[in-house]
Amino acid sequence: MNSEQKTERKFLRMTKSQRIQHVILFVSTTVLILTGFMLQADNWLIEAFGEYGETVFNIRSWLHRIAGVVVAFVCVYHFVYVITTEEGKSWATDMLPRPKDVVDAYQNVMFMIGFREQKPKLDRFMYLEKLEYWSVYFGMTIVIITGTMMWTEYLWPRFYLEVANVFHLGEAVLAALAIIVGHIFSVHYSPHVYPMNRTFIDGMISEELMKEEHELWYEQEIKSLDESETGIDRNEKT
Amino acid sequence: MCHKYPGFGRIDSTGESNLNEIKHIFYINSDLYEKTYHGDIRCKSCHTNVTKIPHNGVENVDCATNCHIIEPSSNEAFSHKKIVNDFNTSVHGKEGSDTPHKEDLPVCKDCHSNKTYHAEYEQQQEGMTFLKVCDECHKSSDFTRRFYEHISYRTTKRRSSKEVVKLCSTCHDDKELMDKHELDVVIGFSNTFHAKALFYGNTEVPNCLNCHAPYTLGFSPHRISSSKNSESPTNAENKHLTCSQSGCHIDAAESFASGGYVHPSPEKIKISKIIGSQEKTRIQNTLIGWIQMFYKVLIVLVIGGLAFHRLLDFHATRRERNKGGYSK
Repeated sequence: MNSEQKTERKFLRMTKSQRIQHVILFVSTTVLILTGFMLQADNWLIEAFGEYGETVFNIRSWLHRIAGVVVAFVCVYHFVYVITTEEGKSWATDMLPRPKDVVDAYQNVMFMIGFREQKPKLDRFMYLEKLEYWSVYFGMTIVIITGTMMWTEYLWPRFYLEVANVFHLGEAVLAALAIIVGHIFSVHYSPHVYPMNRTFIDGMISEELMKEEHELWYEQEIKSLDESETGIDRNEKT
Repeated sequence: MCHKYPGFGRIDSTGESNLNEIKHIFYINSDLYEKTYHGDIRCKSCHTNVTKIPHNGVENVDCATNCHIIEPSSNEAFSHKKIVNDFNTSVHGKEGSDTPHKEDLPVCKDCHSNKTYHAEYEQQQEGMTFLKVCDECHKSSDFTRRFYEHISYRTTKRRSSKEVVKLCSTCHDDKELMDKHELDVVIGFSNTFHAKALFYGNTEVPNCLNCHAPYTLGFSPHRISSSKNSESPTNAENKHLTCSQSGCHIDAAESFASGGYVHPSPEKIKISKIIGSQEKTRIQNTLIGWIQMFYKVLIVLVIGGLAFHRLLDFHATRRERNKGGYSK
């Protein structure tokens, strides 16, 4: 692949609003996972807090609720953002699953195993990113509903609470593992971006990585760049 | 008389070899004894059948005996008789329990495992010079000290919630013992929110006694009754009241307390036969089992898939790099 004088060029992948939404989601989710799984720890581990246990427990309880409310707000905000703003609409439209994703997934797996010579040309969001994104809708709906139920426990029959609890925990385990195995690995340990993909901070993606991971999108961007001379696509800028 | 000599005791050999020796220590340290709750009661007040020296065949102390002290509110001889009677008719008592294995039932001392010497407590007492005020009128400073200790001891919670759970668990977590009595082990409690908060040291969540013997509803640990008993705080009809005790789920809806188990053990969920009428519970438990299964399958598929994809990606990247396909 030739990377002569264009290696410096960067493209906008996440707008400022998207980056802020991501940071809030990421911080509050981390808090939620940590404070939530503190209730799943074995009792001998819990007892290791000794005399600080009660304080730890109270802080844990409040942090979990505060982070839960924050996450709920971000989700609602994101939903409104996606249906009302231009950049939100473009984001969600590009995220929509298409038949091409199935073909991409098949071809990519074949390429990775070694049965295909060429990696498929992936669009702005590849199939795994779409899966992750829509999983968040699914998961958040479940944890927000069941979390609210457990917060207002006195309103519900015991059985409903038990169901809520099972869903909340199941979803939490799934989400936590998916974030670790799916997301953290792809943005930190992936050989293309190690040690960290900085897109979530500055919003930019290097031309090289873009060509590597989102070739189809790259080609489209280059085409639209032919009209303007700048390195940044103006339509995408905040 | 004899019991004041250290080393006073006897060794019984019960088996063929000397390995089965049982050592009986009969030494009583009078300084320590006088500091215990029963410190002003003489030996024979409790060991009533001891009449001659040396004595053998001494019976166990019956806590329902009338003591040789006067109960000040009634001017009558003091006795734990009422509590002992209450206890005997409770689910733990010889009359109240319908178990065929009465010998396993707890006795007073199983729960009232009073330590003979409370070092910390004694130390606390040393600083209490204000008791001198009492001694201005009351002749015996021993009396004022005991009186004060009694009140302060009874009004401060001596056993923490954690200790209560541990105490009850000594029997109720013993699978063999519970099977023998056709009871369910309460191991499920340790996974509940109540238990987790309790082990963190939170004092607002209930321990065993807050639901099985809530003082606020007129029950006491000596009168714990089976949930089959219509009076019991854990009876299906009364559970709602128990959950909505002041300080707990006060606004709880009627249905909040209905159905299901508060601390189910895995076995209980599986067989769900111990409490009668529970076709509904069985269906509910099956449903919960399905949800858990759904998530287990989902987690294995999704996480397994992601991990597999990630491994393939590593593999492909290395392969392409070796080919020189990558510029870096």
